[in-house]
Amino acid sequence: MSIHIEDLTVRFKNGVTAIDHADLDIPNGIFGLLGENGAGKTTFMRVLTTVLKPVSGTVTLDGILYSEGNYEKIQKKIGYLPQEIELYPNLTVQECLEYMGALAGVEKKECRKRIDYYLEKTSLIEHRKKKMKQLSGGMKRRVGLVQALLNEPEFLIVDEPTTGLDPEERIRIRNLLVDFSENRTVLFSTHVVEDLAATCNQLAIMHKGRFLYAGSMKNLAEEAQGKIWICKVSDEEKARKIEGKYRITSKQYVEGGLQLRVLSDTQPELDCMSIPGTLEDAYIYFTNKCNK
Amino acid sequence: MKKELKIVLPFYKIAYASSFVVILSLIRGVIFTNEIGLSIEPPFAILTATFCADTYVQEITSKRSEVHRLYPIKRRISSIMQRIMIQEIFLLLLSVLGYGLFFTFQKPITHPVTESELLQFISYFLAITVTIFFWGILANTLSMLFRNMWMGIGSCLLIWVATNSTGGDKLFGAWNLFSYTFRNIENTADITWLYGKALCICIGFVLLIALPKIVRKRG
Repeated sequence: MSIHIEDLTVRFKNGVTAIDHADLDIPNGIFGLLGENGAGKTTFMRVLTTVLKPVSGTVTLDGILYSEGNYEKIQKKIGYLPQEIELYPNLTVQECLEYMGALAGVEKKECRKRIDYYLEKTSLIEHRKKKMKQLSGGMKRRVGLVQALLNEPEFLIVDEPTTGLDPEERIRIRNLLVDFSENRTVLFSTHVVEDLAATCNQLAIMHKGRFLYAGSMKNLAEEAQGKIWICKVSDEEKARKIEGKYRITSKQYVEGGLQLRVLSDTQPELDCMSIPGTLEDAYIYFTNKCNK
Repeated sequence: MKKELKIVLPFYKIAYASSFVVILSLIRGVIFTNEIGLSIEPPFAILTATFCADTYVQEITSKRSEVHRLYPIKRRISSIMQRIMIQEIFLLLLSVLGYGLFFTFQKPITHPVTESELLQFISYFLAITVTIFFWGILANTLSMLFRNMWMGIGSCLLIWVATNSTGGDKLFGAWNLFSYTFRNIENTADITWLYGKALCICIGFVLLIALPKIVRKRG
């Protein structure tokens, strides 16, 4: 399953251009979509789920063109977890999933089998008889993810699936997505770099409706090499001066002063040393470069 | 069906609809039994519109509609139809209960022209069934078109005011949506009010036929 996006533009009625002539290829496996709030990630995903129609450009899913006539064929292949979804508050977890599975056209017996499997995988099995309104935010998020997986879609689109989850649950969900991505495509949108670092090989960075970067994780991390510096200053006053001059990605109190992580193409005029860049550094480097 | 029932009949809806009927039967004064039907029909149209306006729109406000869009259209339509049916059956039962409550609370007497109380109830049952059918579908359709429950209820209210008025009666006559309410209750042989109800059925079916298109475009 591969998705090809060419010259995609989405403009809202109020004139705001949410996606601006974007091109992207999404291959098999987990593909990360990274970007700050308002970058256009959700709009992009809404186009891929056929909820939104672009003003121009083409999208193809395994060679099938996104057009009114093909929507039904495309929709069958997709599973979607929107960023904000409130599942039926008066139904129990089991009822809610059975209901959504039936609507998706999954056969009753098969649906129950899948529900058992995914509830087990998401540690929700003991909560299956609880009403949706009794669940915590993180649990609701997990049920939302299970409903997206029920029809075993070839193309799974998940918008911030780890929001509201504790660290252990986040790891579990990430692993579930990795397992699920075998022979399938998973588009994993988030602004938590750590989640992508743990799951994806390929990713795209979105910024103001455009893709700043699309490629491998490794190459992205390499972009930041030689641009990250660690400096130590004795007090807050000096730290503030540096902040005015350079992009600081982290600030930490250490013994004898403050340790700053500085992003700069050249060595800052300070007592500092170069350190290997992380994915987060690379992401900030890219978006920072674009903002200049 | 059990799940649809839980979705469209939460406790608060059952509570407000039941309270509405009890209060109506307590405060709306009637002397003769042939006044009960016309005392119930117009308020019940409003109750039905309010009750059914969120049939599908709740999917939009909760963002579930974004997931629903991926489901086969036939299943989505079937789900909406089931929801409308469940709500309308509930309201129909409530309207029958309301009729009985008028007898209990108001103790009306039979009008000299009334031939049969049973026949009178059958007429009422027919009329209220059509009223509930029509206003339920209308409210759901308008809410879906506007993608907003309140716009749906508001539009229904405008239609209600226009038709449930002296002007509406003069303009539409026997073809009025509330032809049963405006009929001459002392002339039991006059059944021209059935025209208005037939019109309600026709409009209701047209809206049902248009539903798949509306779901595709606005759902």
